[in-house]
Parts: sequence; C-alpha cells; structure tokens
Amino acid sequence: MIRLRAVFSKKDRAKYISHLDLNRCMLRTFRRSGLPIWYTEGFHSHPYFSFALALSLGYESDCEILDFNLNEEVPPNEVRDRLNAVMPDGMKIISVAEQKLKITAITNAEYSFSLITDSPELLMNNIKSLINQEQILIEKKTKKGIKTVDIKPDMKIISFEVSEKSVDMVMRLPAGTQTNYNPSLFFEALKKSSEMPFETAKIRRTGIFCENNEIFS
Amino acid sequence: MLREKIEKHLLDIQKPSRYIGGEVGSVIKDKSKVDVRFAFCFPDTYDIGMSHLGMKILYSLMNERENYWCERCFAPSEDFENIMRENEIPLYALESLDPIKDFDFIGFTMQYELSYTNVLNMLDLAGIPIFARDRTEELTQIVVAGGPCVCNPEPLADFFDLFILGEGEEVNLELMDLYHEMKKQGASRKEFLRKACNIEGIYVPEFYKFHYKDDGTIERLEVTDNAPETVKKRIIKNFDKVYYPENFVVPFTEIVHDRVSVEVLRGCLRGCRFCQAGFIYRPFREKHADTIVGQTKCLCENTGYDEVSLASLSTSDHSEIDPMLTKLLTYTAGERINLSLPSLRVDNFSEELLEKIKKIRKSGLTFAPEGGTQRLRDVINKNVSEEEIMNTCRIAFEGGYSSVKLYFMMGLPTETDEDITGIAELAQRIIDLFYTMENRPKGRGVQISVSCATFVPKPFTPFQFEPQDTREMIEHKQKLLLDSVNKKRVKVSYHDADVSILEAVLAKGDRRLCDVVYTAWKKGCKFDSWGEHYRFDKWLEAFEECGVAPSFYANRRISYDEILPWGHLDYYVSHEFFVRENKTAHEAVTTPHCRLKCSGCGVNKEIGGRCFD
Repeated sequence: MIRLRAVFSKKDRAKYISHLDLNRCMLRTFRRSGLPIWYTEGFHSHPYFSFALALSLGYESDCEILDFNLNEEVPPNEVRDRLNAVMPDGMKIISVAEQKLKITAITNAEYSFSLITDSPELLMNNIKSLINQEQILIEKKTKKGIKTVDIKPDMKIISFEVSEKSVDMVMRLPAGTQTNYNPSLFFEALKKSSEMPFETAKIRRTGIFCENNEIFS
Repeated sequence: MLREKIEKHLLDIQKPSRYIGGEVGSVIKDKSKVDVRFAFCFPDTYDIGMSHLGMKILYSLMNERENYWCERCFAPSEDFENIMRENEIPLYALESLDPIKDFDFIGFTMQYELSYTNVLNMLDLAGIPIFARDRTEELTQIVVAGGPCVCNPEPLADFFDLFILGEGEEVNLELMDLYHEMKKQGASRKEFLRKACNIEGIYVPEFYKFHYKDDGTIERLEVTDNAPETVKKRIIKNFDKVYYPENFVVPFTEIVHDRVSVEVLRGCLRGCRFCQAGFIYRPFREKHADTIVGQTKCLCENTGYDEVSLASLSTSDHSEIDPMLTKLLTYTAGERINLSLPSLRVDNFSEELLEKIKKIRKSGLTFAPEGGTQRLRDVINKNVSEEEIMNTCRIAFEGGYSSVKLYFMMGLPTETDEDITGIAELAQRIIDLFYTMENRPKGRGVQISVSCATFVPKPFTPFQFEPQDTREMIEHKQKLLLDSVNKKRVKVSYHDADVSILEAVLAKGDRRLCDVVYTAWKKGCKFDSWGEHYRFDKWLEAFEECGVAPSFYANRRISYDEILPWGHLDYYVSHEFFVRENKTAHEAVTTPHCRLKCSGCGVNKEIGGRCFD
C-alpha cells in the first residue's frame, strides 16, 4: 500500500459541492482516472480517502488536503495529471506527495474574504473597534450544546484593506483536531457589534498551517 | 448576468449543487456556433429527474450533433422557487445558465400523471405563456413533450405545441432538422407545425378538435390543416444498434438512482392486462449480451460509478440472461462494481440464477403476484401460479433470505372480498412454508411485507375500458386486508386512494381536463406526487369550478365502441386486441406470453414480420 497526500483547490462552481458529496465525488474521480485504488480488507471493502479539514459549503480553497492510498507505486506527478484529466470543473490537484506530517499536526488555517458594504470606511472602523475589544465573545454550537467562547486570543488578523465596495481581510483561525473556528464566527461577532449590514463574499481557505506557522504538508 | 443573481442565493437553499451545473459529463458548447437549442425539462426536482434514463439517452444523442445543444432543466424545490420568484430569476438551463424561454425547443418528459401541474409551474417560472395559443407566431419557444403519458396527451393538449409519440432517438433529430431548415427560411410557428405533423410520431393537438355528445362522451374528432387522421408512434427497429450514451452527467449531490443504467431490452412479452408499459413499448426487442457488457464497461469507466443497474421491464426475459449475467459479473466483480438487478420475475427464477444473484444482492427479495387468488391473477394475466411463488420463496429461504416483499394491486376488475383475503392467505402460506422448512435461516423469524397499490385503469391496456373502484370500495378493501393478515409477521402498506383517483382521471382524461389542470395549478397544486404537497381538496375544487366530474373518467365503464380520447393515436397494438383481451379477462382466461404464442396484438403487422425469430 502506498500512502499519498494531495493538495487540491476547490473553486468556482465546485464550492457548492458539500463535504459529504466530496467524498463520493473523489471516489468517482479516482475511478475515472484508472489509478490503482487501494481497498480496505474486510467485509465492507472500501477505498480509503481522508480529508484533513472539512470546508464549509460555499467556501473556496487553494489548499485542501486529501490523504489516499494506492495499491502500487505511481509517480506523484503522474497521479496528479491523471486525476486532473478527469476532475470536475473548479477542482484541481496542485500537488501529490508522500504524507510528511500527521493530520494532528495541523493547528490553524488561513482565510481570505471580502465584506461587501456601501460604506467600507465605516465598516473598517467597526472592525477595528471590534478587534480592540478585550474579548470577542460568540456563541458556538458544539456537540454538547451552545457554548460561549472568546475567539479573540486565537484570531490572528494578517491583513485588512478598504476597497471601493468592500473591506478585504485575511485572517488565521484555529483548525485541526483540537479547536476549529470558522470565519463565520467572526462575521457573527461583527454583525452583532456593528449593527451595520454587510455581505460576505469570496471566502477562501488560503493555507493550512502547523505550529510555528509551518505550512502543513 | 443570471449566474451572479443565482449564486447570490445559492447558500440559502438546500443542496445548491442542483442549481448551478458544472457536473462531470455535462456538455458545454459555444452558443454562437449552435443553431438549435433544446431545453430538456423534467417536471420534478433534480434528484428525481437526473435519475431518468430517457433524458440521459436523448441528452447525449442531441449533443452528438455539433450545431445542436441540449441542456437540462428541472423543477426547483420550493425554497429555491420562492427565491427565483422574489428575485425575478427565470427558469434556466443548467449548462449555459441561460433562461429557457430563449430556447428553440422546451421539451418535457411526461413520466407520471401527477407531474402535470409541475409543467405549468415550470412554464410560468420560465416566463413562457402556459397555453400554446398564447405563444408568439414566430418560430421559437416550441413546447413539446414525450414519454409514456403522452399516449393520452389530451389533458395536456392546450399547453403543448406538439407531442412526440413513442421512442425519441430518431424523431427528435428529425424534428430539430426540420426546425433548423424552416428557421433559416423564416417560417412561422404555424407553418412549422403544419410540416411537423407529417413526421411520423409527431402529434400537433391544435389540428384536432373534439366534439362531444350530451352525455359527455366524444361524438367525433375533426381534423384540420391536412394533419393525419391517426398519428403513429415511433419505434427503433434495430434496438441492438440504437444509439446509447458513452457518458452520463455525474451529479455531485445524491440522486434517487445514482448509478450507471444499461438498458437491456425494450418492450415486454408478458401482456399483464393492467400494465400500460407492457403494451405501449411493444414490440419486445433486446440487445445482445456483448452489447450490454460493452456499454456497461464504457459507462463505468467514463463516469466513475461503482454501481450499475440493468434497466428493462423484465430483465429475466432476456434470451441470453445467463451468459449476460456471467459476463457482467466477471467484469463487475473484478472492478469492485455493484450490479443491481431490478425487475426480476418469479416464474423463471432458476436456482443457478439465484446463486449468481445471491453473490451480489444484499437486500431482500421482491415479488409482484399482483393478485391474491389464482382466479384474479388469471384475470389480469399475471401468469404466475401459487406453486411458482412458493417454489421461489423456498429457494429464497434456502438461500438465507428471511424476508419477502410482495406487491399487490387492489381494486382490480372482477375483484371480490375473497381476492383480498386471498392476499392474507397467500402471505400466511408463505409464513407456514418458512416454518416447515428444516433448513430455514436460523435465529430469525420470517417477515412478509405486503405493499398494495390501487389499480389505475390506463389507456392502451385491455383494462382501459374498466372503471376504477370508488374511494369507499378501496377503503373497505384496505380495512379488510388489515383485518385479515397475521399482524406479527406481515406488514401491510398501501397507497393513498385519493392519489390513485387523480391518476385515473388524468390518465384517461380528455381535453376538457386542461382547464382543470390549469385551475388546480392556479390554486397552488404542484408536486402532486409528493405526499406532503398533494392537495386533493384543491383538485376537487378545481373539478367543481370547471364543471368536470372526476367519476366520469375514473369510475365509468367505457363501452367498446366509444370514441376514446386517445383513439386517434396508434401505438401499434390494435383496438380489437384490447377488446378481445378485455373479454378474455372477464372469463378469467389467460393469454400466453409472446414467445410461447403470438396473441395477434397487431404489432407484427406494423413491423412487417414476426416479433421473434
């Protein structure tokens, strides 16, 4: 069995493929490619696919991680090319390589997005005052019920700039097996604190990182 | 432009990938290089419509022609429909995301009567006039329909420019060719329709006028514009060589039949007297085992599906069933593909076949005796004896199955209470059989599911003359069945009688029903086949307001010499045959299937020879 890891992008119309559907979609893509898929042994034999992080419906990404197994050695670039030849529109394998780190090494993910508004300057000020608060408390749904959490300590703003019709931001949030924050938590907090309407657009995951800000691979 | 508007709302609705296209296998063309655009509309949601094999065939077939572009279109679910109406998003096709009102053809497939209101709703959402008479005189926006329901298209006649009778593989392209030619010449809609009605298989309803007698029956049919007196359905003569797609559109979201389908045969040789499909798809034709295996491989490789199902009315009637399954199983097992085999019949279920099927079947076995007593099974010409049912159940139990699903119909012609209690008795004898078997599956009790549909008399069957049971009769029979079964071992389910009544009315209705369908839709009826959307009260109001009595269509016996609303349509099987079969049914005498003995239904005259070598 050969363990491999693919980094792939999911953009454009492909952003409407739900996480649940993505698994099926990948299996069919692999089958179309004719690559030697490895199947589990046992009564319900099935191929092994594992996505490092779930991506919310409607979000784009440049950096999705898929772990999979093959039965025989195939050069990684050939794997990439054969998959890309039969990928759905909007999805593309960027690279295929061995699995260097364990999935548990993931600590955070980076997102870029635009907040569309008629008065971006005003929204920008609201954002500033929000992030200058001591705490940013939001209600997060967990398996055990609704929990109030402070996302401020874990939220890292990489950049923000005002353009004609929007505020464009890049931020990093905890991700991985321990804590997962979705940018939607920030949107909620902003909606609650600023009381001014805005729409979110072009939400995209732009990077998956480990401790020390090393890119996960 | 439209795309932006659509995308703005996609995250507010259920399963958005249904509304944006982009699936693997969908066909994108440069519209500036396309001469004729066809919107293939399925009058139900994506999840259901995408499962329809006919659409897959015709979609690929039309797109084989470089300058024709066929796209898909489905009925949006309620959540998205509301958004579309609020934001003025017209119904659009999934490939180009262009509004279908700008297409040359808007083609619907009519698979079941309860989808009629959805057609009106889709036309309305598209911004296309609902009544054919209100459409432009220009040659564009031709609204057409095909599929089994158009064997009696009269309840839809006012909404369509033309109907395509029979199999579409050839006639669809002929129609598009004619359109393309006449469009170049600058012809009008009317001129096009006058020419189109001379293509075999094309029925243009506006050239046919019905006159009625005082008692409501048809007095005569007046044909205008030199249209043919009768319109004949189309069939494919060489079925083994007929076009079959090499690829399917592979959806992202899960659909009802999410797998490769390979059509193994068309038509049915059984002649069950209630079954419309058994007659309108005649003659019986099959593909060679090698053709089927080749098409299976090709589709599995191109789509990436790991499940394939064989499509037909009765797969076990294929003359090469054994070599076919052997070859298929060799391929599918090697590729880890699941093979599913619907439509297997009880009576030619051999032990060898069961051995092969057992390897791949996980779920229980389903049989359709349809009638509870031998007498009734003889009436409906379901040539299945109790001995055969018992024998099959024995084989199944020996093979480790402990649950059996049985399909029956209720309200069949000549049916008495004895036939209903006969269902319970048959189920009990299967239970008894199970417990007398020493080698029965251990550790489990036997479970029988009895599923009871209400009989709906359909056009082009020997039972087209029959009245349907009234609601009171059906309810009495349902209660009787529930009271007579062994409740511990038998689970009974049955269809809502109200749904079957409407089905009967729409199936056998005439042109006067167009107003009822329109009125019902105006009152909010749509998705009538979905239990949660069905509003029989609204339908009854619509009947009342239009002065049309549903019982006239559902509960009245039609005499043999009455002019039928579908009498001018020729589906190859003769009226005389249906009359003869109806009489034979009332004598509880069976007719052997076509391979055993030709029953002279009339099909062989049309195809110029014998149906079987």
